[in-house]
Amino acid sequence: MKIRELLLLYGRQFGTLSGLIALCIVLWILTPHFMTVSNLLNVAQQTTLVAIIAVGMTFVIITGGIDLSVGSALAFSGVAMATLLQKGVPLGIALLAGLGAGLLCGLINGLLITIGRLPPFIATLGMMSVARGAALVFTGGRPVSGFSDTFRQIAVGEIFHIPAPVIIMLAVYLIAHFVLTKTKLGRYTYAIGGNEEATILSGVNVRLYKTMVYGLCGMLSGLAAIILTARLNSAQPIAGMMYELDAIAATVIGGTSLTGGEGTIFGTLIGALIIGVLRNGLNLLDISSFVQQIVIGAVIIVAVLFDMVLKANKR
Amino acid sequence: MTRKLAYVLVTCVLFAAVSCQRGNNTSSDQPTIAFVLKTLNNPFFIDMQKGAEDAAQKLGVKLTVQAAEREVDVEKQMQIIENLIQSKVSALCVTPSGSKEVVPAIVKANKAGIPVLIVDTRVNQETLQAAGGKIAGFIGSDNLEGGRVAGEFTAKKLGGKGKVAILEGIPGHETGDSRLKGFREVIARYPEIQIVSSQTANWERDQGYNVFQNMLQANPGIQALFACSDLMALGALEAIAAAGKTGKIIVVGFDAFSEARDAVNKGTMDATVAQSPYEMGRTAVENAWKVLKGEKIQEDISLGVELVSKENAGAASGR
Repeated sequence: MKIRELLLLYGRQFGTLSGLIALCIVLWILTPHFMTVSNLLNVAQQTTLVAIIAVGMTFVIITGGIDLSVGSALAFSGVAMATLLQKGVPLGIALLAGLGAGLLCGLINGLLITIGRLPPFIATLGMMSVARGAALVFTGGRPVSGFSDTFRQIAVGEIFHIPAPVIIMLAVYLIAHFVLTKTKLGRYTYAIGGNEEATILSGVNVRLYKTMVYGLCGMLSGLAAIILTARLNSAQPIAGMMYELDAIAATVIGGTSLTGGEGTIFGTLIGALIIGVLRNGLNLLDISSFVQQIVIGAVIIVAVLFDMVLKANKR
Repeated sequence: MTRKLAYVLVTCVLFAAVSCQRGNNTSSDQPTIAFVLKTLNNPFFIDMQKGAEDAAQKLGVKLTVQAAEREVDVEKQMQIIENLIQSKVSALCVTPSGSKEVVPAIVKANKAGIPVLIVDTRVNQETLQAAGGKIAGFIGSDNLEGGRVAGEFTAKKLGGKGKVAILEGIPGHETGDSRLKGFREVIARYPEIQIVSSQTANWERDQGYNVFQNMLQANPGIQALFACSDLMALGALEAIAAAGKTGKIIVVGFDAFSEARDAVNKGTMDATVAQSPYEMGRTAVENAWKVLKGEKIQEDISLGVELVSKENAGAASGR
């Protein structure tokens, strides 16, 4: 009985997880270079950026919205922080500014959607262009590069041989899981996506919570920007293009419904890992980047297709 | 039940992809040279790939060619290099998507004991030194000289005076920056030649069209255009045709790939600076092989550039 309930509750995650495991086993058989500690850490590290952005995306998609501006917000936050760092601003303040720049993009999105009543697709599409343009204007199109070793530790540092970005990612997932399942913000996130009208009628300040969700999404883009900048030792105004698509893909492969109201944080982590493992494995197998695009696209379609079939079966 | 089917399907897709790509690359004791290109959707890099493949075949060495989907995606390029390090390739040839951004990846390869040869785009020396990175060699065109050659040609065609526009590459890319520098250096010697507009079209054809169309709107008197790549020049040619000014504006490009040579032959374009990506790919693989055998190689190999204009377009299009 207990197991049945668990399966019903976490069935979707269980399915995604077994997909990830199956994928790993296939790669293990196909190449000797996949299942090694150093490669697995390598994959984990490569997944962090998309995985962190996808957390914010999961919140937004659960409310029934979408955020297309995450990649541009990342570029904007990155160059803002990098410029400050180069001007000699203390590390802590520069990092806060990086997060703040992302938060700002997200809050503006939120306000446009709640107060301005714009559809999320349009508001964030606009922001995608505005933030990208701002990053380009800010830097004159040039990358901002060369930072202190202390700052670079964010990407190259290790704790017990685990790369620092992976630890940051895990921390983000634990906190986000807690927020989504145990706090008011989390419950209202589901409620808004499930039935926005009903949530408003039950006296919840939907505008406030929705704006917070978009702000959170923007801030996590800022966090990803910090890691990316430390990783490349450079902040590029053209960084993060198409990241929104990877983040959306990770979220939907992880079982979050684009119509809102359902989804889990750990599902998204598995979704992000599936994309990361696929890319890594296809590289290891020496498969051309053209074919890689087909495979990744096919996986996204198959994952969502099965979600639909599963739901139809339930009914 | 349906779910199981899903994984069977996914696995099938994967296997299908694998089987259609895997040919003869199973033996692992043979040395593998990996070539990381900026992208594979640009004829320049496809020529380079061809040169690398021909050299690899002649030397009997295994070659892996990988590229990010987009030319400017420095993070994806870094991931590819990391993954190649994991698959224990013997040597790496890299065309950097970013002169500074590639450095952390070089350092990683250094740590894994894999020699790195840089092709086409130079690595920023200061950044490399600061990071303690090391490269085995550089193979590329003399872009500065190429820019000068283009500048001389343009100045001569203009008769020493007139209005010039420039389509730049992505700022911060060594190749584009050097071409620009060489071109400007020469033009600065002609006080009566004025650069009325200089903007980036991000190496892309469609942006070359749009940006040059806007330039023409703002400065209808433009007499000559220097584009830092043929792709941008070809885009601009369309904009010139749309404005009904074909043949009235001197257009000089860079790269001399076949479509641009055709345009020069037809007279819609005046000149382009030839580099040989094929030679670059070939030389890179040959030198990587020498490094693997423990032979000394020249650290900086500059392949010459040559101006292709109507006078010599037929002769120069040998390949």
